[in-house]
Amino acid sequence: MTSVIEVSHLTKRFRDTVALDDVTFALEGDTIYGLLGRNGAGKTTLMSIVTAQSFATTGKVSVFGEAPYENARVLNRVCFVRDDQAYPSSATALHAFRIARLCFPNWDQALADRLVTDFRLPLKTNIKKLSRGQRSAVGAIIGVASRAEVTFFDEPYLGLDAVARQAFYDRLLEDYAEHPRTIVLSSHLIDEVANILERVIVLDNGRVIMNDAADDLRNRAVVITGDSAAVAAFTAGREVIHRQNLGNVTAVTVLGGMSPQDRAALAANNLEVSPVTLQQLVVRTTQDAPRSTAAA
Amino acid sequence: MNRVVNVMKMQLVNRQTYIGMPLIILSGAFLLTVFVVVLIPTDELKFAGGAAAAPLWYFLVVGVQALTLSFPFSQAMSITRRDFHLGTLLTAVITAGVLAVIYLAISLIESATGGWGVNGYFTVPGLSDNQLAIAPLSYFVIAMLMFLSGYGSAAVFKRWGALVLTIILTGLAILLTLALLLSVRSGTWDVMVNWATAQGMLGMTLWGLLLAAVLAAGSYLLVRRVQL
Repeated sequence: MTSVIEVSHLTKRFRDTVALDDVTFALEGDTIYGLLGRNGAGKTTLMSIVTAQSFATTGKVSVFGEAPYENARVLNRVCFVRDDQAYPSSATALHAFRIARLCFPNWDQALADRLVTDFRLPLKTNIKKLSRGQRSAVGAIIGVASRAEVTFFDEPYLGLDAVARQAFYDRLLEDYAEHPRTIVLSSHLIDEVANILERVIVLDNGRVIMNDAADDLRNRAVVITGDSAAVAAFTAGREVIHRQNLGNVTAVTVLGGMSPQDRAALAANNLEVSPVTLQQLVVRTTQDAPRSTAAA
Repeated sequence: MNRVVNVMKMQLVNRQTYIGMPLIILSGAFLLTVFVVVLIPTDELKFAGGAAAAPLWYFLVVGVQALTLSFPFSQAMSITRRDFHLGTLLTAVITAGVLAVIYLAISLIESATGGWGVNGYFTVPGLSDNQLAIAPLSYFVIAMLMFLSGYGSAAVFKRWGALVLTIILTGLAILLTLALLLSVRSGTWDVMVNWATAQGMLGMTLWGLLLAAVLAAGSYLLVRRVQL
């Protein structure tokens, strides 16, 4: 499949911090990506630069094979509503959707109306006066109903209740099945979105530390639990990314799959093995890294 | 062009910002003026002074909000900076034009009725026929200058931050004051006043139009580089 977005050696500096550090990746068409990482990892900055709302310090971005900056042919096919999106003064959700309908060629009004019902979104209230969740809903509805070929969601669930979040994921998947496109879900509620992601890109301190198929990541690590000495013996020489002790019981997260021999050894030593969720994997691999700062 | 029209529609979707509020302010100031001049028990000339300028100040606010609120939204709508700039300025031109036409209508009525029969004026009184025709154009240009000042200042703020904006505005104020001081001291003040008088109302209005064009071009360069 061909890439719709190519990012190469992208670096973004703000005074003394490096928001993005030599980021290179490609996004393929008709795929749902998770853009995961901690607060300040660079997720919003990255989406902002790819959609030409901000500029890279160095590096190159190409969208549908062209530079996106001031390029209406490209921008027309892209949608990025940020989590702290500003709206025109005293605009209501109704105003925002009317404008979106003008701007996005594939806008589906029926879909937008259905989402308004799902989210119980008040249409005639000033957006500034809406609750955090309702404001998120406005952005999420624009993202889904725009049906842009590449759609970025910037933490679309912020402040949404569980019912509304489920409605968002359900509608997004339903619509994706009928109208495949490239969707990038920036999120730190990883477990919640894990099931709908096909590929996962993890940013940490402005660097891409994982870029894999979601299924591969699910089998990437396991937790071995049991008697401390037996765990230590089994995990010797393996890549340990996390260790937790409770009395003489130890739980160790190790990278790599378990071979049949491994399984036999585990059973013989009374060790338990359990899979690591995507969220745990991301947490374990991003929790200890220090913040990077630019060299003076 | 179609995309520029979309930006104008975007700016006008909420009719309150560009149509409702200026009309409310203008008609409010106008009605207050008429009530007051009718109330004053004298046949001497009564001129409301700055009342007609009330909606012009609102243009400053609209200019600021166009950049701080509408611009980020237009980016989410995948509109290019160029289309946003052109569409937004065209919207301001149309609204300022509508206000100028209303101003013209009021001034025609006022000169025809001798200031509502009580010698009271909302628009500038005592203008010649020629000036009567130029006054709405001046009104339009001042409205655009107000809009562009707000828009341009907000663009500087978004591009370089509050410190730079403050330095620029303070610097301009110091420069103007200094120029004023120097011209008074060196006796060139009279020369400048004579020059302005010689330009006449139309000439000064055209100079204002030139300044507006410079502001429009300058703010475009900034809008191209604003990062969200």
